[in-house]
Amino acid sequence: MPMMTRRTAMLGATGLLAAPRPGFAQTSLPPLSIVINNSPWFDGFRNLVDRYEKDTGNKVELDVNPFGGSLEKQRSSVRAAKGQFDVLIMNASWFTEMYFGGFLEAIAGIEPGFRLDPGIYTCDDTCFFDPVAKTMTAQGKLYSMPVNPNIPLLFYRGDLYRQKGLTVARTFAELEANAKALHHPPSIYGMAQRGARGPGSVSYDFYPYLFGYGGALFRDQKAGDYTVLLNNDKGHAALDYYMELLKTAGNPKAASFDQAEVLQAVATGKAAHAIAVIAAWPQVDDPGKSIVVDKMELAPPPSLPGLPTGPGLGHWLAGISKNVPDDHKRAAVAFFKWFQTAEAQIIYTQVGGTPVHKAAYAHPMSKERKYRWMQPMAEALPYAINPFRFPESSEVVAILELGLNRVVAGEVPAGPALDDMAGQILKLMQDKGYKTGKA
Amino acid sequence: MSVVVRRRHGVLVHAALLAAVLIVLVPFAWVIAAGFRTQISLLMGETLFEPTLASFREVLFSRSSDFALNFRNSLIIGTATTLACLVIATGAAWSLQRMAWPRFAVAGFLAWALLFHMLPPITLAGAWFSMVRSMHLENTLTAIILAHVTLNLPMALWLMGVFVRDVPEELIEAARLDGASTPVILWHVARPIIAPGLAATGILVFIFSWNEFAVALNLSIKQTATVPVAIAKYAQGYEIAYTQMAASAALSTLPAVLLLLVGQRAIVKGLTTGALK
Amino acid sequence: MAAGRQGEAGWRWGLLTPALALMLGLGLLPILNLLAMSFFDVVWKDGQSRWNPVGVANYAAIPADPLFGAGITNTLVFALASVILQMGLAFFLALACSRIQWGRTLYRMAFILPLLVPGIVIGAIWKLFLNPDFGLLDQILGQFGVDPIDWLGDGQTALFSVVMVDVWHWTPFCFLLLLAGIEALPRDIYESAGIDGAGFWQELAWITLPLMAPTLAVTAVFRFIVAFKVFDEVYLLTGGGPGTATEVISFTLYQRFFTEDRAGFGAAMSIAVIFLVCLMLVVALGARSRLGRAA
Repeated sequence: MPMMTRRTAMLGATGLLAAPRPGFAQTSLPPLSIVINNSPWFDGFRNLVDRYEKDTGNKVELDVNPFGGSLEKQRSSVRAAKGQFDVLIMNASWFTEMYFGGFLEAIAGIEPGFRLDPGIYTCDDTCFFDPVAKTMTAQGKLYSMPVNPNIPLLFYRGDLYRQKGLTVARTFAELEANAKALHHPPSIYGMAQRGARGPGSVSYDFYPYLFGYGGALFRDQKAGDYTVLLNNDKGHAALDYYMELLKTAGNPKAASFDQAEVLQAVATGKAAHAIAVIAAWPQVDDPGKSIVVDKMELAPPPSLPGLPTGPGLGHWLAGISKNVPDDHKRAAVAFFKWFQTAEAQIIYTQVGGTPVHKAAYAHPMSKERKYRWMQPMAEALPYAINPFRFPESSEVVAILELGLNRVVAGEVPAGPALDDMAGQILKLMQDKGYKTGKA
Repeated sequence: MSVVVRRRHGVLVHAALLAAVLIVLVPFAWVIAAGFRTQISLLMGETLFEPTLASFREVLFSRSSDFALNFRNSLIIGTATTLACLVIATGAAWSLQRMAWPRFAVAGFLAWALLFHMLPPITLAGAWFSMVRSMHLENTLTAIILAHVTLNLPMALWLMGVFVRDVPEELIEAARLDGASTPVILWHVARPIIAPGLAATGILVFIFSWNEFAVALNLSIKQTATVPVAIAKYAQGYEIAYTQMAASAALSTLPAVLLLLVGQRAIVKGLTTGALK
Repeated sequence: MAAGRQGEAGWRWGLLTPALALMLGLGLLPILNLLAMSFFDVVWKDGQSRWNPVGVANYAAIPADPLFGAGITNTLVFALASVILQMGLAFFLALACSRIQWGRTLYRMAFILPLLVPGIVIGAIWKLFLNPDFGLLDQILGQFGVDPIDWLGDGQTALFSVVMVDVWHWTPFCFLLLLAGIEALPRDIYESAGIDGAGFWQELAWITLPLMAPTLAVTAVFRFIVAFKVFDEVYLLTGGGPGTATEVISFTLYQRFFTEDRAGFGAAMSIAVIFLVCLMLVVALGARSRLGRAA
């Protein structure tokens, strides 16, 4: 194919021109195109990108999409002969698809010797991938850069806690007691739970309970053991507790509460507690959107005594597309290099982002009232669990969403429903050829 | 019915119609008002509020919003789709209805058009995306225009078929005897007669193109996004930006209102004759 | 192509070709592509797609899909309920409007408005309007002592609410068509009926309805087609929930095909929907020709 060779030749030529130079200011780099979705944390990311452009003179183009639209754009781009986007901002719910599909370039494959800054949170090692063993462990190659370490935290009303003399809930028993103490429907509910069916709604709300009870979806995904543990004793105990909390101190209509409704309940002072993602935090302290400004506090999600907190990751990773010209890939690496420095991460925090570097969380500003989310984040992040490490996870999520939503809606009893979901997941994993089995 | 009876019922009838008008307009008015609120004022359900332009400013001028661009895209796509659809559909309708095709061919073509019109567009979006790429039209307005022309062609074809049949055979025969060729007949004989039909069809096509969401969502990028795609963005992810959604909804209603004030008569005529002839 | 000696034949093809090309190229080809894909399981490895043949397994899995069944049922219920309600309401409004001397233009103007607004905006408007915490509807009902109703969030009312929104959106359209139909009815029949002393109901039953039958049928069919394809409103209003209460077939396809990226299964489901549409079309055309013979 003559066209092919010509293109390759041209790429080679531009590659020579853009030979890496030391430092960040590589003026010969082409504009970097990043596909991203419109989240509350997007403004912070954009501000940081502005800073990058100013500091280095490099250009960045951001393609902003609705959440679902972003995935579709990424799929279309990576599947084409020539990609449209250099960098994909991938959510926890779909980065495995990009890894397993072979759509991303290992970062060291673009610039040998590139190392992840040791201060960066690896988000349950999900930024690493071994394309042969198909596992994500620190032994794999670096395939992406964490850009937002989104996890759920326990949001609670500090002002009401002080009034009632309550202490921060660390265990599930304490959470239930505190939630009951503040439960005065219909003016305020003890706990706002997110029970809606969505692309990752009620299941995502349930993970901190499941993991906090020591439960799991599968036995050991890192080792390739997909034995279904969802409905073991711990899983059943977690779901029973989740439903008990809902019944004794929860919001009615939880089955139609998605993230927006939960946060709406928090912002309008109708929820004393909620487990919600840190990405949603800014609106709680925004006087234009909330009547509980300065009243909410944060803590890691509770767990059983003796067990660590278990927030489920809903993080974002930046991967470099394989099917883009080499100079574009190098432009991406240049951005990553700048992005992962402690200095950039501190700026990231100050311009409204959620940093991924330990140095930012250790910075004195984390003691300030305005940044009161930073310490609970730093506490919870090392225990954050990535729920799925295989590309068909959206089908498992669909099973969980429908099953859990029906439990929350009261259509089916919790116990048999959980067994049924586990059975469906088992069958799915068998069909897909994974090593699986019953607990 | 006599005039007296009509008068007696008049008040009742007007009351019923006014109620219907209120039901149509109140949600619009309330949402436009919501665009002038702060999110918390809306969420708290306050009846009285201090108006703010913040949401409109956010929608129109913030960096993450390209409303003016979206507007322009929708306008270009709608206009181009309408023109292309009218030309292609009129030609095809003329050929099918007036140019001695075997009956089964005409019936087959129209049945296929009807079937195609009934399919949910979402079934085709994926395939279109890869076709657009292979034609190197990715990220262009042309791609969306092509898709919209295809989506609306069956309806346009169907409607123009009806109008084309109305052109009297004697006129065509007479013109043909005078030695007029098909394009001359189309332009000088048929066009004046089917002009209202063209307006009717054109208006429907424009409205459907302006409003189309599912396909535009899949075929557009930031630079080519249409108004509906832009609006959907406010309801994604971690919060619903209620007031921005309201403000953008209000803004996207604006051209509709203008269109109404300017061309109400034409729209009504278009819609009704289009579907009823 | 037989373009040549006679310009006529050339023009016959020439005028049809663009439409033919579009309908085949962008209409038929994607469907054939779907048909082919429906017998495979499509996976992506090393940046390449692998089509693993699975026979009819994708089709066999459709009946067991909890969303597909709900999607088809809800879509049919939605389309039938909205079209019937719209037609009924619109017919009486049109009848009323045809009886007044002045103000028709104003009423029409107000009624056209919902038609010009994108479905996604309609969804946005009603998502706000029906909100149980701050939506105007529950606030108004609250004045009459009614507890807030979670219109879209309660499985009992969600589908009804979506139908309500569609009725709001499309009744004006039916109204316009039916009003035009009524206005086009020959006046002299009414006048002679009036002389014979026929009352309102007799007039309606014996003159208006029979004469309006074709208009009513065309309007209903047109509406049914659009209602069957419903996507935008559901996308914003409910996302198919709660549970599967408002799951419509377009949304199921979107989820299976795009959200979950199950190309083979999604293709099989698309083909199944296309088959169902064909079936409905055959039934509808059959009914029409039988009606035509009877008339």
